[in-house]
Amino acid sequence: MSSNIENFTEITEKSTAEPIYDTNWCHMPAEIKLKCIGKMEINERLSLRCTANAERSLVDSQKIEFYRGCFEGDDEEFRVFLNRNHRNYSKRSDDKNQFFEWINYIKKVGVFEKLVISFEDSLVDYEQFITNDGLFTAKNVKFSYCDFDNMIAVLRKLKDGVESIEINLTFTAFDELAEIYEIPQMWINRNSKIGTTFQVSINEIDGSFDEFLEQFTDRIVSTGEKRARIRTNNLDRHILLERGVDDVITIDFLIKFFRLMVISAEMKESEYEDDCKEWICKMNPEIYDYYDSESSFEESGDDSEDSDSQEE
Amino acid sequence: MSSTEQGTSSAAPAEPTTAPESAAAPEVPESFYYVHGKDKVVHKVSAGALQHSALIHGMISNLGYTEEQAKANPFPFENIDGDILQMVVDWCNQHKGKPTPPEDTNLPKQKEKLFDLVLAVNYLEIKELLTYCCKQVAMMVKGKSPEEIREIWMIPTDAEDEAAEKEAKKRAGKEAAGETAAAAGDAK
Repeated sequence: MSSNIENFTEITEKSTAEPIYDTNWCHMPAEIKLKCIGKMEINERLSLRCTANAERSLVDSQKIEFYRGCFEGDDEEFRVFLNRNHRNYSKRSDDKNQFFEWINYIKKVGVFEKLVISFEDSLVDYEQFITNDGLFTAKNVKFSYCDFDNMIAVLRKLKDGVESIEINLTFTAFDELAEIYEIPQMWINRNSKIGTTFQVSINEIDGSFDEFLEQFTDRIVSTGEKRARIRTNNLDRHILLERGVDDVITIDFLIKFFRLMVISAEMKESEYEDDCKEWICKMNPEIYDYYDSESSFEESGDDSEDSDSQEE
Repeated sequence: MSSTEQGTSSAAPAEPTTAPESAAAPEVPESFYYVHGKDKVVHKVSAGALQHSALIHGMISNLGYTEEQAKANPFPFENIDGDILQMVVDWCNQHKGKPTPPEDTNLPKQKEKLFDLVLAVNYLEIKELLTYCCKQVAMMVKGKSPEEIREIWMIPTDAEDEAAEKEAKKRAGKEAAGETAAAAGDAK
């Protein structure tokens, strides 16, 4: 008991030796400031970081989670749309420098569930965009009508931990499609983890499955109507290329869906999963609702004229 | 539930008065402890209410004080203003044994008081109350421009910061020079 009392006295003596607190934000310890900043929304953080360099460093050290972040740009203006805690924030600017300074802050602090990039015009000549070495932290990334070089620049700026990348290329990027072959080539060379997956949907490219196989003729292990399997430099691993084809998404379908996956070389053909509907829906959640003729009839109701013409 | 009484600056605190804890008497008698702030006003607080404070809870968990010993050894928090400690004690009592709500609208709106409360709560390690307080601090600048925030929170500009730093260095240099001269004089 006496030792407890001694300890207690020691603790309380320590507490009385603490300085008397001031009541000003500037005298608050950094850890409390960070807790307060953690409770602020994006606009307040942006304002606070403009007050002084010390505050800017603190604000920039605090991550901020976004459900969705959309970065867009064309020849007229640049736009950012952010969604966090069911609130939307947007910023537009026709000043490239100002916009990218802002993007660099968001890139540094933002943790995105979904990140959408859509810069239609090439930014390769724009040093602040290309050379800035800050990385995006995102789980699901989508490139929508994005210039190919811009897309590659952003892909290089993605932190590890990305779960999916969706790429909707424009027709102008068609010539660059060969770049997609670099993905299996990278897996062949780098001994990638089993389960690593890349999915892509491409519009109106006839024979793209065969074109793809032509790139890897010397590595083909087996090939069929829906699947092809190629060797990697690691004897234990193969790459499975699957074409997303079933009763609804037929071989003549306008959009082609492909999935590339690193698999074990031991995997038997009987172990292949017929789950193309599942992975196609991940890329395009509405496609089956739209093209499945049965559900189309159900949804169209009494308007049979329209339904008939659609069927034709 | 707490009771307060104006104490003196002597080591033995004044006898606090006790208010009824609750309508239903607990089966096992509850233990009470005593705290006082800068103003020496002693607050009687139940061990259950003090559980919110990780600091105090850590202090008392192995003490095994009798009522008399607890009275004779109030926890002195000289770094916390009396009214702030009163707020903390009230909050702990209000939320004793209850799940904390997602919002707390009873926190002070006055800037200085709120900052003092934040610092006290941080010191006493009352996690939930600290979360409310930080949220309230963040609300103070909701929708404000950088200039407005600088004014509200008295944040010096970078130029003012630099000037203050230079001044401090100059002062430190002068003091060091004075000490050297004094030491040289002593040596002679």
